[in-house]
Amino acid sequence: MNAGVAGPLPAPQGPSTDVLVVGAGPAGLAAAVAAADAGLRVMLLDESPVAGGQYLAAYSAAAGEHLDSSHQHLSTSQPSGGSGNGAGLSPTRAERFGHALLGRLSAGAVDWRPGTLVWSLGAEADPAPACGLLSVAIYAHGATEHLSAGAVILAAGAREGFVPFPGWTLPGVMSAGAAQLLAKRHGLKPGRRVLIAGSGPLLLPVAVRLATPDGAGAPGTRVVGVLEAAHLPAWLRCGASLLAGVAAAADRDRLGEAVRYLAALARARVPYRFGRAVTAALGDGRLEAVTVARTDALGRPIPGTAETIPADALCIGFGLVPNVELAQLAGAASLFDPARGGWVPETDAFLETSVPGLFVAGETAGVAGAEAALSQGRLAALAAACRLGRVSQADLQRERDGSARERAAALRFGALINTLFAPPSGCQAVITDDTLVCRCEEVAAGEVRAAIAAGAVTLDALKTRTRVGQGPCQGRTCGPILARLIAAEMGTAPEAAGRFGVRPPVKPVPFAALASTVPASPARDLRPAREAGR
Amino acid sequence: MSHLGAPQTDVVVVGGGIVGAACAYFLTASGLRVRLIERDFPASGTSRACDGLLLHHDKGSAAELALARASNALWEELSRSLDAGIEYRRQGALVLAESAEALAAAQVRALELDREGVRSETLAGGALREFEPALAPDLAGAIYYPGEAQLDARLATRALLEAAQRRGATVDAGLAATGLRLGAGGRVAAVVTAAGEIAAEAVVCAAGVWSAELTRSVGVDLPVRPRKGEILVTSRVPGLLRHPLLESSYTASVQSAAAATGVALVAEMTAGDTLLLGSTRQFAGFDRSVSTAALHAIAARAVRFLPALARASVMRSYAGLRPWSPDHMPLVGPVAAVPGLFVATGHEGAGICLAPVTGQIIAGWIAGGRAPALAELVRPERFAGERTSGEATLGEGTSPLPRKGRF
Repeated sequence: MNAGVAGPLPAPQGPSTDVLVVGAGPAGLAAAVAAADAGLRVMLLDESPVAGGQYLAAYSAAAGEHLDSSHQHLSTSQPSGGSGNGAGLSPTRAERFGHALLGRLSAGAVDWRPGTLVWSLGAEADPAPACGLLSVAIYAHGATEHLSAGAVILAAGAREGFVPFPGWTLPGVMSAGAAQLLAKRHGLKPGRRVLIAGSGPLLLPVAVRLATPDGAGAPGTRVVGVLEAAHLPAWLRCGASLLAGVAAAADRDRLGEAVRYLAALARARVPYRFGRAVTAALGDGRLEAVTVARTDALGRPIPGTAETIPADALCIGFGLVPNVELAQLAGAASLFDPARGGWVPETDAFLETSVPGLFVAGETAGVAGAEAALSQGRLAALAAACRLGRVSQADLQRERDGSARERAAALRFGALINTLFAPPSGCQAVITDDTLVCRCEEVAAGEVRAAIAAGAVTLDALKTRTRVGQGPCQGRTCGPILARLIAAEMGTAPEAAGRFGVRPPVKPVPFAALASTVPASPARDLRPAREAGR
Repeated sequence: MSHLGAPQTDVVVVGGGIVGAACAYFLTASGLRVRLIERDFPASGTSRACDGLLLHHDKGSAAELALARASNALWEELSRSLDAGIEYRRQGALVLAESAEALAAAQVRALELDREGVRSETLAGGALREFEPALAPDLAGAIYYPGEAQLDARLATRALLEAAQRRGATVDAGLAATGLRLGAGGRVAAVVTAAGEIAAEAVVCAAGVWSAELTRSVGVDLPVRPRKGEILVTSRVPGLLRHPLLESSYTASVQSAAAATGVALVAEMTAGDTLLLGSTRQFAGFDRSVSTAALHAIAARAVRFLPALARASVMRSYAGLRPWSPDHMPLVGPVAAVPGLFVATGHEGAGICLAPVTGQIIAGWIAGGRAPALAELVRPERFAGERTSGEATLGEGTSPLPRKGRF
């Protein structure tokens, strides 16, 4: 090697931490606190400067002013009244649990490292970690660092899925999740006449938040409609499933939540329409209007039903896609399960992947909502503690059995949602040949369809032939869109298209940071003295 | 006879990388009926995991230089004659010297090349800064080779294949060759695939680092090993770099067979305003993962020479397996022990550059029935007898090259 080459510094003796948790949403918080309670040194990392993830963003935003920068600890506000979910609704069970976990974080239960990107993960990584450890490359505060951990719990959440349409790259068109986060964290609203479109129950809280004047919101914002791609029977089946399970507290909670959201929309006089698809976003330089059409049973627009709705903001979302790139990079075996949102790592009953010591929890293990995430986070933490000798096999088994019914119910409900509100097969019909499908590299659907016709029938082959997936998002947005496009053109299942490969860095890292590696900083031992000495 | 229902085939080319594509291109130009099979998709192996530089100055021997000159001249022709764009640009390349000693050594090298007709000029100080403003100001200087060029290897592979198809070639993607069937006199009779046999008069094995898998099925060992090269891609940096860059120790790192990760910077602009930055050279079997060590090492080298990159990001990375050969010359031509079998591999990092001349030599052997110009330089049988394993060897001819004794 040449002189002056800044290779990674040798890892210090022993692991940087016992358990490293990636993602501080509900699953990651639950995992980190449970692992700390089991007497382990825990490091909790999140790209965001605040804990809580998308789900608990309102609470962490309220706490933002109290951020103690010297210790990076959060203190949190009470989730009472409208301050929590900000929509004037009482908090859900999961929100209450989540808030309690944020409180544990601010009390210093774990070594919490906000603003930290994990850009590589592996058992075979370079520098090779000591036997049985996983190697984790991070980027924080302008430098890179290589950590090692006895166990890693990936709770990296999920991202939104999309169905493109002409004009979806116009300023004024944004993801429903981004609009929600702006409102939750910063009290910002996306426009004065807001249209919300897509599929699934996640559109409801977004609509309610944007429609509710909650003090922080800009006056004069009006949600002019919620356009749901699914047809009424999907909602009726959802409701029927919840009613069937109404004896269970969790299902009662979910039903109550849905009813409260729908009531709030009705109060705000927001029209909610089933079986609608956006066919184009129109505007000169920014969004001015949206054309929508009724759809048939397959989700195809019905000719002659189009109408144009004036709007300066369009929030779109088609369910969630698990963030599994780090698991894929580490070599974890995975499978395609539409009921869980797409590609997910294969796990055993304790959420351990095929890579020893690597666990997944929350949406990363399959999209199933906050209740499932909280339960899975705790289970994965105890399984990691068992692997590290802090929890007995019998205790782990007891934990699993004790929470099994509730978790199964949450997963069942998640699967129902993911299935009923998946982008319908006919939704491809709105993707005209000049619609961009890869926003980063500006590749249009026509070029992709031509490449598919010429034999590029996997994501990998498409990437080589057309540049899709080669931009900054590394195919996170366009991957599922392209897989459905291939499936539609070929008459095959989306999994036949495979996945984009994953290599480090999983997200862009500045050169300055890669060129300056700092020594691994071990987790601060925050355990009571009797635990630490055990 | 073909069991796959395709028209009669004269030659089966195994491998849809740039070398296989060039073979198909020149074989069809000679009027032969060609069927190319590729187990994944065109350019799915090394040809999409490389840079696109077409260089003269890094060639380690007169023989290698002769091949490069012939091939680069063919690329220039092809850039005009191929219907599809290949992003061919001939804007020269800069060889960077950090120290006065390195510059002196680079100038000696430039003088040697000048005697071979490879022109260059030395740039230093203000002239260098004006020529390439983003370079670190403390460099001793650089040699500018105006004849160097670059292209997009994926586009070039596709353009060659499409041209071959227009001349009647059949391209089967997703079809793997699992073996070869020999007929009377040990002559190659057919390529065996999962979908049946494809009978042919001749078979060209152009499967890069995977070539040995196929030739082993008829007892022929190729002395070709995978050598991993890692490359990273920057975020968009429009206008940052005007010419491809190579660190002056790059040639040494290519020629060295040392197994350790050697990093000498090579930088190239793409049509998408990103830079490709390489590269490492490492024997690591068939592993195609990218190590974080390689990212750190390449990033550090890149920032050393292009300080403004510190504000850009590493967007992604990839690794390709270069087919290394013991004397750094490709193996192109007939396998004497198996009549009808030809190989075209072993180009290591020069496969993009040497693809056209390789295709021309293969077409000369098969269509012309005799050794074309330059063919002696790359005859596979120069390695005959160096391996004791296997039932057959590469053949018994007289080697045109002195044995290097490194294998």
